[in-house]
Amino acid sequence: MTVTKGNEPGTELADQNLVTLTVDDVEVSVPEGTLVIRAAELIGVEIPRFCDHPLLAPVGACRQCLVDVPDAGNGRGFPKPQASCTLPVSPGMVVKTQVTSPVADKAQHGIMEFLLVNHPLDCPMCDKGGECPLQNQAMSHGQGETRFTEKKRTYPKPLAISSQILLDRERCILCARCTRFSEQIAGDPFIAMAERGALQQVAIYENEPFSSYFSGNTIQICPVGALTSSSYRFRSRPFDLVSTPAVAEHDACGAAIRVDHRRGKVVRRLSGDDPEVNEEWISDKDRFAFTYARQADRLTRPLVRDPETGALEPASWPAAFLAAARGLAAAAATSGVGVVTGGRLTTEDAYAYAKLARTVLGTNDIDFRARPQSAEEAEFLAHAVAGSGLGVTYRDLEEATKVVLVGLEPEDEAATIFLRLRKAWRTNGTQVVAVASHATRALEKVGGQLVRTIPGDEAKALGEAGLAPGTIVLLGERLARVEGAFTTALAAASRSGARLAWVPRRAGDRGAVEAGCLPNLLPGGRPVADAEARADLAAAWGVASLPGEPGRSTDDILAAALAGEIGALLVAGVEVDDLADPQAALDAVDAAGFVVSLEVRASAVTERADVVLPVAAVAEKAGSFVNWEGRRRPFEAVIPVPHALPDTRVLAGIAEAAGHDLGFRTPEAAAAELAEVGVWDGARAPKPEVVPGRAPRTDPSEVVLDTWRRLIDDGRGQDGDRHYQATARPSVALLSSATARAFGVREGEEIVLRTDRGAVAVPAGIADIADGVVWTPANSNGLSLLGILGAAYGAVVTVERSVPADEADALSGPPHPHVPTEEDEQ
Amino acid sequence: MATLKEQLWDPIAGFGVTFRTMFKKPVTVQYPFEKRPTAPRFHGRHQLNRWPDGLEKCIGCELCAWACPADAIFVEGASNTEDERFSPGERYGRVYQINYLRCILCGLCIEACPTRALTMTNEYELADTSRESLIFEKSDLLAPLLPGMEQPPHPLRLGDDERDYYSGQAAARAVAEGSVAAGPGGEQ
Amino acid sequence: MGLEEKLPSGVLLTTVEGLAGYFRKASFWPATFGLACCAIEMMEFGAPKYDSSRFGMEVFRASPRQADLMIVAGRVSQKMAPVLRQIYDQMPGPKYVLAMGVCASSGGMFNNYAIVQGVDHIVPVDMYLPGCPPRPEMLIDAVMKLHTKIQDTKLGAHRVAEIAADEKVALEAVPTTAMKGLLR
Repeated sequence: MTVTKGNEPGTELADQNLVTLTVDDVEVSVPEGTLVIRAAELIGVEIPRFCDHPLLAPVGACRQCLVDVPDAGNGRGFPKPQASCTLPVSPGMVVKTQVTSPVADKAQHGIMEFLLVNHPLDCPMCDKGGECPLQNQAMSHGQGETRFTEKKRTYPKPLAISSQILLDRERCILCARCTRFSEQIAGDPFIAMAERGALQQVAIYENEPFSSYFSGNTIQICPVGALTSSSYRFRSRPFDLVSTPAVAEHDACGAAIRVDHRRGKVVRRLSGDDPEVNEEWISDKDRFAFTYARQADRLTRPLVRDPETGALEPASWPAAFLAAARGLAAAAATSGVGVVTGGRLTTEDAYAYAKLARTVLGTNDIDFRARPQSAEEAEFLAHAVAGSGLGVTYRDLEEATKVVLVGLEPEDEAATIFLRLRKAWRTNGTQVVAVASHATRALEKVGGQLVRTIPGDEAKALGEAGLAPGTIVLLGERLARVEGAFTTALAAASRSGARLAWVPRRAGDRGAVEAGCLPNLLPGGRPVADAEARADLAAAWGVASLPGEPGRSTDDILAAALAGEIGALLVAGVEVDDLADPQAALDAVDAAGFVVSLEVRASAVTERADVVLPVAAVAEKAGSFVNWEGRRRPFEAVIPVPHALPDTRVLAGIAEAAGHDLGFRTPEAAAAELAEVGVWDGARAPKPEVVPGRAPRTDPSEVVLDTWRRLIDDGRGQDGDRHYQATARPSVALLSSATARAFGVREGEEIVLRTDRGAVAVPAGIADIADGVVWTPANSNGLSLLGILGAAYGAVVTVERSVPADEADALSGPPHPHVPTEEDEQ
Repeated sequence: MATLKEQLWDPIAGFGVTFRTMFKKPVTVQYPFEKRPTAPRFHGRHQLNRWPDGLEKCIGCELCAWACPADAIFVEGASNTEDERFSPGERYGRVYQINYLRCILCGLCIEACPTRALTMTNEYELADTSRESLIFEKSDLLAPLLPGMEQPPHPLRLGDDERDYYSGQAAARAVAEGSVAAGPGGEQ
Repeated sequence: MGLEEKLPSGVLLTTVEGLAGYFRKASFWPATFGLACCAIEMMEFGAPKYDSSRFGMEVFRASPRQADLMIVAGRVSQKMAPVLRQIYDQMPGPKYVLAMGVCASSGGMFNNYAIVQGVDHIVPVDMYLPGCPPRPEMLIDAVMKLHTKIQDTKLGAHRVAEIAADEKVALEAVPTTAMKGLLR
């Protein structure tokens, strides 16, 4: 049970006003304002309840928690039993629960009988059966035998209130947990109570689905089986599942989750309970996007390219290790090796790459940023982020007076931050300011204000955000495309006393910074340029020296490979369409003499690689992520899969085949070594000094592209669940009315965004967005802006009004790949 | 000194048993050649029963799998749709497997079954040469189609909704229509 | 030599195989390997009511050197596993293994650290017999099915080819640990 701050017993207890009352003849002191139901919990009495949830406002809807109050603290008692979930304690109060009061017990039995009057007896086919609070409490506080002989109320079922959420109104006991969650926590009040009396029911607006990125939480908090998910429907039963605590791998928030699997297959994920991080809520992406690891294109055996036929042939692990080691060692001895790792790596795996690159391959050409990046960003990370430990936390966000979001759209890119910002605004009145081209719905939901800017002008606009001590500035990864943004933010923060935090988009990003997967950074935040730091690390690793030349960034590595300056590439979990120039990246992979790819599933890189080494997906290995706060989030393997080795083990194998010893073979040993190497306590890397740039100038036919990835989009980590994918929001190209008028575009009409690479057609939407800017999602509905247009945040695209007939076919971009569903799999 | 009886009679007395037995019927059962029926409630191979119209009784609730002490049953449910209906109600057992190399034929699954879909037959000749062949799939376990039954998927034939089936009206209607003999449909 | 070259190919050898199979199946020499409750049913199988002498296998040998059928009756603990393997190795070929009961076949309801999850982890099993314990009829049925299998056993070069073919199938088979959805 999460205890929210304020009600928390413990350290601050003495400072708070304590109220002493008697519950079941036991005297207990609790902070003022505590509800009787929580006071009873403190003495170990569990009052049955359905509507009560510690993170939601009390409502007293189900009436199950009735207790007898013979003395309300003023000498008089309540004449009838009271709902303990809405009753705050008062001094001298006497409460008798079902344990000591036959009146309370009888009242609870009566309410339970009422609740069961219209509740169907379909427990054997209900998904909640086995973990159902109603089932459990009907056993502990129910009659056992029904006296109800009449016909029960029925409704058509199940009712799909979104493609993922199914509603069964027969089972609903009207506790309003789902509607309260949507209204209070998520801010998406798309479900509500309709009708009155016996016909009262949870309903959605006509023709409006329950469209919320957090809809899955309602399934989890529903105390009966009234809300179920399409993808888990009838899949399994709770008593058959093995639950493992884990950490969500889709964003940098480090949300605690619980993974349930049976017979080697993950069947569902639930929110974990971590009051410091995600409380009890997770986004739908964290909840439903887990089928990617069992798609048909999953790699299961090492593949080595046959020199004669040129085809990839299955090989044994030792043979593949040897082939990879020979190729990499040959290149390392002559032209050099570039290491490009993606954002999916755990900290331990990232450390293994960092150490392999420095000790075995003898290079600093390693970069985890498989996305548009800048040298300024690397310098910023080295100066302000790496090795800085726990910085701004979720709790700091909650207590901040003001939070400024720059280059970050919290609902899409860091869902847990969004929920905390909403909570901060609702409970603490925190002011949220977004420096962006337009106010998104998420910004409205956190009561935020907009400092309007054009992509590229963020550095200038930051001055208008009004930083002060107590302000927290969250910097998104898009700022790598904005010249001078990090420099300005650092300067503004030090001037005003505001605190900074860098919020990357992927789970492994912060861990990779800590592990030294950057050309200018060694593990533990040691700057490459610092000879002392290098000597310190060389001593810890037991090597004579480390390469002192700062390495190349991802873009430079790929450019060097294309130019033939780098002989071999070691690529890990990189999706080519994420890179700044996907076509050039593919050409670089083709041009490189030798490519080793460590991947979970087949990709454009594995097709071109000389050695493909299949690695374990997140659920199959132990490890840890470091979330944006700098908090280490360790997790254990959920399902052991014999053929899936973690990257760490594979890299250790390659190192051993090359005649080196990496020093560890398991993620546990890697974590221990990383902890032993420790954080650099010497001089930090210097600040970035980049003159702020300006937004690009545009012709009348051009606009500046504002874009980010939506929470639910075409990312490959979300493959395989059609119900989940159907909840993605439709693509739209947002223009201001003035811009739209200038191009002669009406709302809903298709417009074409074009660069010299290609074109995409997206329906136009009119919004209150800066003039001369178009916003469209980066990778939704089969349209990858980087893949098709080669255009990232802040790029210039031309806008055309309609689709010329001869190009109609070429426009749509790559068709949706066939996504194998659960049904296909069986 | 042994008596005369001990010297003469006792050594051959034991043969009396042998001699007497020559006139008794042999107790040996001629099993593979002559098969005697088992006790009617003998716990043999399982069977998944059908309603009189051929729909499956199994709703895929997995209570049998829960009850199983040997973890020998694997069930996965799925939704019935209007076009593809296998059982009355929302849910049917899409995957049903019993591993007879784990099953101890204890019958707890039978007691757990809320729809009497799972019962046991008296068949016991189960030995086989491989592990895979002793994992029985749903197709191996389903009761044969009796006259009047129709291979699912098909719509409800004996009632408007699943309540008619569970309240016994479906069986009554089947008997009235003469499609099946009276008695619990499909069960043995 | 000589004779089979004049005959249409295969005739004589097939007959010898059939004859050898007939003799083999009709005179099993089981090794006692009663480990638990199944052994009681195995004794019943040898006793007058079910009378294994009807199938020429009444003599249960205490010495593996004189036996060619091992009826593993009962759960095999991890400690018993090497003993079982040694006894199997001491049996002269051709030899057969019958896993009697679910515990010997797959570990049964004892899915724990102490019990070998199926004797096929240790020795090749020719016949799996479910039941807990199987009644003697079931054991007779399993022995009859084993008879059929032995009757069809090949000899000489054909046997070598058969073993090679079986080996190939076994190597390509999906390991039980990798069976998706299936119960192992």
